[in-house]
Amino acid sequence: MKKKIIASLLLGSFALLSANSFSTQADKDRKALQAYFEKKFADRKNASTYFPYSTKDELDNNFKWGIKGDEFRLGSYAFDKGGRAQHDEMMDMPPFEDNIDNGKELYEKTPGMKKCFPNPAIAGDYPKFVKGKGVVTISDAIVSCAKDNKQKGWKLTKGKTADLEAYFANASKEKGKKINVVINSKEAAAAYERGKKEYYTQRGYLELSCATCHVQGAGQRVRNDILSPLFGHTTHFPVYRLKWQGLGTLERRIKGCNKNQGETPHKPGSTWTKELIYFMGYMSNGLPVDGPDIRK
Amino acid sequence: MKKILLASVLGLSIASAGLVEDAAKLDVKKVCDVKANGAAKVLAVAKKFNPEAIKLGVEFKRLGIRNKLYVKAVEEAIKAKKKEVVIKYTVKKKDKVKKFPLDYAAWRTCTFAVRALQLHKEADKTWRLAVPGDGYKF
Ligand code: HEC
Repeated sequence: MKKKIIASLLLGSFALLSANSFSTQADKDRKALQAYFEKKFADRKNASTYFPYSTKDELDNNFKWGIKGDEFRLGSYAFDKGGRAQHDEMMDMPPFEDNIDNGKELYEKTPGMKKCFPNPAIAGDYPKFVKGKGVVTISDAIVSCAKDNKQKGWKLTKGKTADLEAYFANASKEKGKKINVVINSKEAAAAYERGKKEYYTQRGYLELSCATCHVQGAGQRVRNDILSPLFGHTTHFPVYRLKWQGLGTLERRIKGCNKNQGETPHKPGSTWTKELIYFMGYMSNGLPVDGPDIRK
Repeated sequence: MKKILLASVLGLSIASAGLVEDAAKLDVKKVCDVKANGAAKVLAVAKKFNPEAIKLGVEFKRLGIRNKLYVKAVEEAIKAKKKEVVIKYTVKKKDKVKKFPLDYAAWRTCTFAVRALQLHKEADKTWRLAVPGDGYKF
């Protein structure tokens, strides 16, 4: 009896150990990414190294310096004072309140939804790696639950799915939940690595990678926008965009950016998109869930 | 049976790696030069490589027009002996039409097809250079 207990304890701790070791590389990547952004936005002194194209006026007057950890969930509004002021003003009367209410109703009235998601405060736990299925984003999970229950009209990008996500995100935020993406198998680690490679790969006729804009380029201006950092990107979806005049999921945003790279965009729900989101999600691990939010 | 399966899988992956390798060796400026080679030859290059770009998920698209639409429209223009290429496409479910000179469209579709595969191959060597904590020092 004792032996059995010891054996299972040993086995248990072995499983735990190896679960951790599958995420060793990802943890290293996440820490380095955070360190990079914290250094980049540490103070005005470093600015000419990191922002060679920004004007003196912008660096002196519009940038906030000394950004750390949790603040990065705000995207570019973490350091762009002008954008932040507009953002906070809009948040006085958030345009997504009705979406949260609608999401709550969908949660309660859609057949099967409560059974698929007994706890609504789970926005930070996605994407998940599921053996035999691969990466499942929160949008994937919602849409497949709806399909399994023969419900129509659920898309990965907007509409009912986004509203339900808004409800989940809000519930998670109220409970003080954090992003908690898990890599617990060899297959999961491989999916993470593939997502990472795609993120850093130059693509399209413009030959830009996601990282060109959201790692090395974060803080620089592209037309009317200031580029936001990868670190914090998945904390606050779904997002209400002024351009969309509505709510959209992370899948929707990524499809737009992928198209802007000058490539035939990958479909939401494709392995490419899921694995990219898995990587991105892991990079925001430990940050507070802060959705829904508003962006231009 | 198993052997056949294995062989065909291997065969497939070799064929696929082959196209990427072929493209990687090309000088885009030369193979896609319409004046030197003629539109038909330049189109043939695009036709050879673009399907592979689609398969790998790296096909180029510009201003709402996928490269495969250029390929198709250039082919039609050459067949009809026209000097103008007409591309029909849709943006957000709206039908659109654009016209281009043949030489330009042939050059464009050829460079897009070849360059997409070259970029795909180059990425194996370059992507880590942008990863903080890996190839990117800060
Ligand atoms: C040419 C530059 C460029 C490239 C390349 C690019 N993006 Fe973006 N992206 C933008 C701009 C501009 C915005 C809007 C301003 C901002 O928040 O950064 C944006 C916004 C985003 C956002 C929303 C940020 C937020 O705070 O809500 C996400 C997520 C995103 N991009 C992901 C990606 C991914 C993934 C890729 C690669 C597939 C990518 N982007 C490639 C320019 C780019």
